[in-house]
Amino acid sequence: LTFLLLFVAVTHEIPAFWPHSVQRLQQLRQLKAFGLEAGMVTLVLSLKMQVSISDEPETLYKRLSLLVKGHDKAVLDSYEYFAVLAAKELGISVEKVHKPPKKIERLTLLKSVHIYKKHRVQYEMRTHYMCLELKYLTSSTAAVYLEYVQRNLPEGVAMEVKKTKIEKIPEHIQEPVWDTLPQVEETEVKS
Amino acid sequence: IVIHCSYTGISIHAPPRTEKMAVDQDWSSVYPTAAAFKPASVPLPIRMGYPVKRGVPPPKEGNLELIKIPNFLHLTPPAIKKHCAALKDFCTEWPSALDSDEKCEQHFPIEIETVDYVSAGTSIRNPKARVVTLRVKLSNLNLDDHAKKKLIKLVGDRYCKDTDMLTITTDRCPLRRQNYDYSIHLLTVLYHESWKTEMWESEKTEEDMEEYIWENSCSQKNALDTLLRIKASENVSNVTEEELLASEVVKNYRNSVIALKNEGETENNVSQYKESVKKLLNIQALP
Repeated sequence: LTFLLLFVAVTHEIPAFWPHSVQRLQQLRQLKAFGLEAGMVTLVLSLKMQVSISDEPETLYKRLSLLVKGHDKAVLDSYEYFAVLAAKELGISVEKVHKPPKKIERLTLLKSVHIYKKHRVQYEMRTHYMCLELKYLTSSTAAVYLEYVQRNLPEGVAMEVKKTKIEKIPEHIQEPVWDTLPQVEETEVKS
Repeated sequence: IVIHCSYTGISIHAPPRTEKMAVDQDWSSVYPTAAAFKPASVPLPIRMGYPVKRGVPPPKEGNLELIKIPNFLHLTPPAIKKHCAALKDFCTEWPSALDSDEKCEQHFPIEIETVDYVSAGTSIRNPKARVVTLRVKLSNLNLDDHAKKKLIKLVGDRYCKDTDMLTITTDRCPLRRQNYDYSIHLLTVLYHESWKTEMWESEKTEEDMEEYIWENSCSQKNALDTLLRIKASENVSNVTEEELLASEVVKNYRNSVIALKNEGETENNVSQYKESVKKLLNIQALP
């Protein structure tokens, strides 16, 4: 079965700390950072973004699992709506969206600075989770989606992205190498 | 906008922007990016906070709660659709031939799992990000029987028998790419070593065997011994071992013993064993 591996590279200026984009992207001086800054939306529409295609073959991601953690459930709900809508618009199939149960970390401290051991105060930190699983993405699509979704991550919310990449078996594991090596006399192992 | 006269102390406040907003305005130009909540720019009668006694929550003017919480006013559905329409050019299609998990596995058997972490803090680095997990099904590798058994022995806990999946997790190198290279190197080494046959492998004993083999086992010896003695006591002409082995009853017995040892004791297996023993020793009277 042969199928075309399409390769598209995004060409725009990306800050240096996004390693997955720096590998394949070229910096285009005239085009400023993708229009999510103030007032840039109209500018982007007039300045046509240039899509350039690079020779590198696409890596395929079988599954992309986004786990979002936050202290406020309402913020995570809004973010879920945003992420799901963005995935649908970009044509990415959403496998499932589920909300693991929240974890509460409690600690008990002394209420007073000095003595009064019987009077304590209790604090708790609630972490809510939301897990979004996406299926079947190419590396360009994954880079675009992740960048969009991570740039719009609200303050106080953290994200873990688990990527499952699929690959062919490398050539050196196809056949055992002992068949091709020339016959060598076995030497005694010196103990 | 406030016009303030410092002499008289009178301030005249201009009406808020919300009064001049049309109902069908372009909201994405009011909030193009993430910004704090501005009560004068948002034409919604929002109240937030703990309500006063026998009253309502405080209004939006000067409401700190509304400013503190992150808002999604810049990500309304039309705005998201606009962004995605502009981003669509940079996306590529998934190859349509790989529409199921089985096909993916058939053509791309190796799965590499990596995790990226995004959070706010003093540092963007996360030491957990360098971990790489490589998963592959042994049925997809070019291994013969001996190589597969040797690989499973070499790998130990990392192989799961139920799913036939070998999982290699590497995190000994500081960078993710180094860990990936190391995991591929480990797979290569395991593969090639399992195809080699060392001299000491011929000393493999019965305890080392992964599955029960009936040929040359004590069960076979005992069964043949018993049958020979039965035949000798009945004074039948010497039957050879090969004939006994080829007979139906012995084959039945062999299958039932193998099933018992390899699959464990189930009702089926035990009853099968009972039947085969009865047929072997010719004792039909017992229930």
